[in-house]
Amino acid sequence: EDAAEESNVSAELIAHRRRLVDEWNAWRARCREELAEERARLGKQDEEEKEEKEEVQ
Amino acid sequence: MRPILLQGHERSLTQIKYNKEGDLLFTASKDLRVNVWYSQNGERLGTYDGHNGSVWSIDVDYESRFFITGSADNTLRLWSVSTGKELFQWEFPTAVKRVAFSEDGDQIVCITEQRMGHQGAIRVFEINRSGNGTNQSKEPISMFHPIASKATVCAFGLDTSTIITGHESGKVALYDAKTGDEIKGNQRAHSDVVTDLQLSPDRSYFVTSSKDKTARLHDSRTLVVLKTYPTETPLNSAAIAPTRPFVLIGGGQEAMNVTTTSARQGKFETRFWHKIFEEELGRVKGHFGPINTLAVHPSGKSYASGGEDGFVRVHHFDESYFRAKPYGDIEPID
Repeated sequence: EDAAEESNVSAELIAHRRRLVDEWNAWRARCREELAEERARLGKQDEEEKEEKEEVQ
Repeated sequence: MRPILLQGHERSLTQIKYNKEGDLLFTASKDLRVNVWYSQNGERLGTYDGHNGSVWSIDVDYESRFFITGSADNTLRLWSVSTGKELFQWEFPTAVKRVAFSEDGDQIVCITEQRMGHQGAIRVFEINRSGNGTNQSKEPISMFHPIASKATVCAFGLDTSTIITGHESGKVALYDAKTGDEIKGNQRAHSDVVTDLQLSPDRSYFVTSSKDKTARLHDSRTLVVLKTYPTETPLNSAAIAPTRPFVLIGGGQEAMNVTTTSARQGKFETRFWHKIFEEELGRVKGHFGPINTLAVHPSGKSYASGGEDGFVRVHHFDESYFRAKPYGDIEPID
């Protein structure tokens, strides 16, 4: 019974860690997207500001 | 993980930094001396001589061409990495407590101390990278004074438009680098002095250490606290390990503040924490006093610690460090 309980706890812990990593990975993916968007926007601003406005519409 | 001991300082270390390639390790201390070493074998490559006061802070640019130092002698100095020659000097009314390069090496930010009727200030200088580096402007491109609590640490944020600061009160703030306006402030990031601030490789998050005995991970854009690493000792430094999901934390109670032999209790250890699970994974002993500064090799193959004991210890990770999967297949992207 004790062993069963222990394995339950560790299953819970594993699920918890899995959730933490999934949250972290999702946040990292968002970060990368935002960074890429920002860099693209800054690049365009330097070169062709007008065209960017058209693209947005 | 046999450490290499670097013996070139007579007093406590203040800050250590790897260059971008990681082949060089720069070390500064209260003894006025600044050294550069080959990180692989611990051989000393050279020194940067000239300061008349403790060197509080150092940084090296992305090309390993320019090196900056901030000192208690009220100067900020620019050096040639390869020749060790001083190229330029800025003088202030008070000590320079923290310096940092921007990612592109075009700017530097520094904190000068609040003292004798002088407000603490943050200044940003443009670095003229053309020519031999001696032709610099004395005038900052921006300067501002954080109110309420003085800034202790600083760095450029995601880019040169923002500056992230840590404060004496424990506050962490994000400033507009041009106007000096506070964009965001987290008053309760820490409850005591912020002692170190190091960014992730892509600058989207950063770690802080504090005398409040915790280290924390923050979002560079929002200043939201992402993770907390609590310990039982005041902390002086924290670093993010690349390639593995770890943060390194170091500190320790000053000898004069302890009633028991804390060295034996193992307080002067570098602690490895799982960045995401907020669990301590292990400790590395070695120093005879508090750990003042930590740095991790940019490709993650070694780390170095600088102590109150005057020693720098460079640890090259074993193969097992990279293979180890303490949590099985649950591994984050980065």
